[in-house]
Amino acid sequence: MRYLRLLSELIPWRPSQAGELKLTTEAFAAVVAAILVIPQGITFAYLAGLPPEYGIYTSIFVTLFASLFGTSSMLGGPNTAVAVLIGITAAPFAGRGSPLYIDYVILLTLMVGLIQLSIWLLRGGKYFQYLSPAAITGITVGVGIILILSSLDGMLGLTPSETLFFFEKLFVMADDWQALINPYSFTIGITTVIAGIIAKIRYPRYAILIAMFVGYATGLLVMGIFTQVDTEIELLGHIPFQALPLSSPKMDLEYLLVGLAMLPNAITIALIGLAQSMVIIKHLRSDTDQSINLDKEVFAQGIANTLAAFFSSFAGSGSFNRTALNLSLGAATPLAGIVSAFIVFILIDTLGTLLSYLPMPVIAGTLMLVGIGMIKPGEIARLFSWTGELSVFVTTLFGIVFLGLQTGLIIAFILSLILFVLSASKLDINIKQDDKSVQIRVEGHLFYASIDQLSSLLKRHRYDSVLLDLSVVSYMDLSATEALAKDLQNRDTRETTFVIVLTSRKLLDHFQQRLEGMPVEFVYQPST
Amino acid sequence: MFGLLAIEPLTAGTPVPIEELLKRSYLDDYHSNVVFGYRIITETERFGARYSGNQLRCSNCHLNAGRKPDAIPLNVAGMYPKWRSKNGRRNGIGLRIRECFVYSLDGIMPPEDSPEILAVAAYISHISYGEMIGEAPPGRGVPTLPDTGYDPNPANGKAIYDSKCALCHGSDGHGIPGIPPLWGMDAYNKGAGMANTKKAAGFIWANMPLGQERSLTHQDALDVSAYINMQIRPGDPRRSKMLKLFESISGLVE
Repeated sequence: MRYLRLLSELIPWRPSQAGELKLTTEAFAAVVAAILVIPQGITFAYLAGLPPEYGIYTSIFVTLFASLFGTSSMLGGPNTAVAVLIGITAAPFAGRGSPLYIDYVILLTLMVGLIQLSIWLLRGGKYFQYLSPAAITGITVGVGIILILSSLDGMLGLTPSETLFFFEKLFVMADDWQALINPYSFTIGITTVIAGIIAKIRYPRYAILIAMFVGYATGLLVMGIFTQVDTEIELLGHIPFQALPLSSPKMDLEYLLVGLAMLPNAITIALIGLAQSMVIIKHLRSDTDQSINLDKEVFAQGIANTLAAFFSSFAGSGSFNRTALNLSLGAATPLAGIVSAFIVFILIDTLGTLLSYLPMPVIAGTLMLVGIGMIKPGEIARLFSWTGELSVFVTTLFGIVFLGLQTGLIIAFILSLILFVLSASKLDINIKQDDKSVQIRVEGHLFYASIDQLSSLLKRHRYDSVLLDLSVVSYMDLSATEALAKDLQNRDTRETTFVIVLTSRKLLDHFQQRLEGMPVEFVYQPST
Repeated sequence: MFGLLAIEPLTAGTPVPIEELLKRSYLDDYHSNVVFGYRIITETERFGARYSGNQLRCSNCHLNAGRKPDAIPLNVAGMYPKWRSKNGRRNGIGLRIRECFVYSLDGIMPPEDSPEILAVAAYISHISYGEMIGEAPPGRGVPTLPDTGYDPNPANGKAIYDSKCALCHGSDGHGIPGIPPLWGMDAYNKGAGMANTKKAAGFIWANMPLGQERSLTHQDALDVSAYINMQIRPGDPRRSKMLKLFESISGLVE
């Protein structure tokens, strides 16, 4: 039965699964998604240290496979945090963009896909809901800051400088700005950013696209006056686009040894990719009535990244901004994602050459705009209302900015778990006391971590009659029952009574079995 | 650390011939760049496509992948950095390669740290093994032809071109697959070294026609060179800037 369910999740999406299919709506959403994913693909390829065509392939194939095996209108494809992590992971083993580097990224992508597939086999999708929103905000803001800092390299025409701390980089830039900064690149970059910020006020969705057009025009103007040879403006160059860019991960001993060294980061990438996708899925599940299967979405992400390694693509995940846009345009099925992959293909095949003279400072400016967009003051302000959430946010952000993205992500995962355990182990106890009896109403889960709170209370009321109201408690583990039993043995049974109010049949059976012969009465009130 | 576990560790000190490197399944960062550089030089239209603007290959002029003396050989890593009058700056090997992309390949100037430039630089230093630092290797560049005492005569050049060159390069100079074009909008532009009549004459005399090199007289080589460089070709990217940009963009839309 279980294997049958696993097998059923392997089947790609079919149009018959959707209740009603609005073809024109989905097709329009697909066109918009395709136009938006191209600049993102190129930008994130730059972020991952790969030539631009790899970003295009990722926009096509990862989007296609994620939608084909998915169940929702979530759009997969190139993703910021994943791209940054790919760059960090492969950089120590080969020079950015060199053939060996590309081999390692392909291998890393396969590893990420396989790790995600094993998470799917272990039914791990549901655990990503434990990632606290505060940690996610911390990660988003942290990645935003990383993006802004790394965009400075391209915008000012610097060689990507390998500095350990960002303030060191800022210091070097400020100290030697006359020699380091290319004024032409800076002009183009800053024009792009300003155009994007202005466009965001009127057309928030298409701001990036408008910024790119303005930046491109500025670039052409600057190169028309001063020539590219004199200004040394970095250009995107021709994209050698292939229809079927087959690749295969290399599996020699040397590659596998490097793969082993990349394994911890591969796990982090797999987790952060899935975490982002699952957060989007959670939103889609609560906001729309799409028939979403959580485990199938995990499979879709895993298989998309596994297959990506065979189509010259790097790992991706669900995209927040493109999914939001897709949703606002009315797409409700994976069809939009599938169609958009084909539209990207057609667009690049016909109009791709127009991108050749796109200045890299424009790409960097776009990156800065994406980074600025990730820092949302409203979301941060909301966290200030609760210290627990705020401390998770601050620690995560501090970890990402000062200790590196991987460390920050691990901090985020651990803190979320701690926060979850802390909030789960806190019992809400209401006490109504009169002369000789006490009424205790418990809300929360009764388990080893939370039972202390209750048993110390019961100890205090050992000589009172107790009415223990467990009507809203749905879960109780063995150690909690044993603690209760121990308390019952020590009670003064001559003058007091001990009554437990229950609504759950399961708990009643559990108690009657475990507390046989104890001085306790049960009141069973099945909820209607 | 991982290099120690390789079956036959490669070091930069003992150069392995490029043909041997091509057979290996795993190469370290340096040697994989050497191989990538070799591929860019021999199949520029495929591996150097991002920045090259025409269908020429580096190995069309740097014959035998830059290993033939008197055909602008590439074993010159020891001569850089050096000052060049062309741009009035001190040039590293990186800038020199970038200029090839702009002028001879009529393309886009790649950034100094682009994978393509680093790979070609790695290849150049790989084949420069054994050369003296700061000294020109034998057969560097093209031979300088002695002064013949006569001006170049393009009319005579056309006659020689039609009888000796047109068979491969075509009477319209546009080349055939495998043979590079000499003029037209797919050839090198006016900023390239080959656009210099004297340099091109030296190259033609020492290397052309293929298999019968040094069969032309000095004057004949000079005449052919003058004839070829009279023809239409893309403009120098440093001059008529707006026009050059328009030329590139209109070429894209075609």
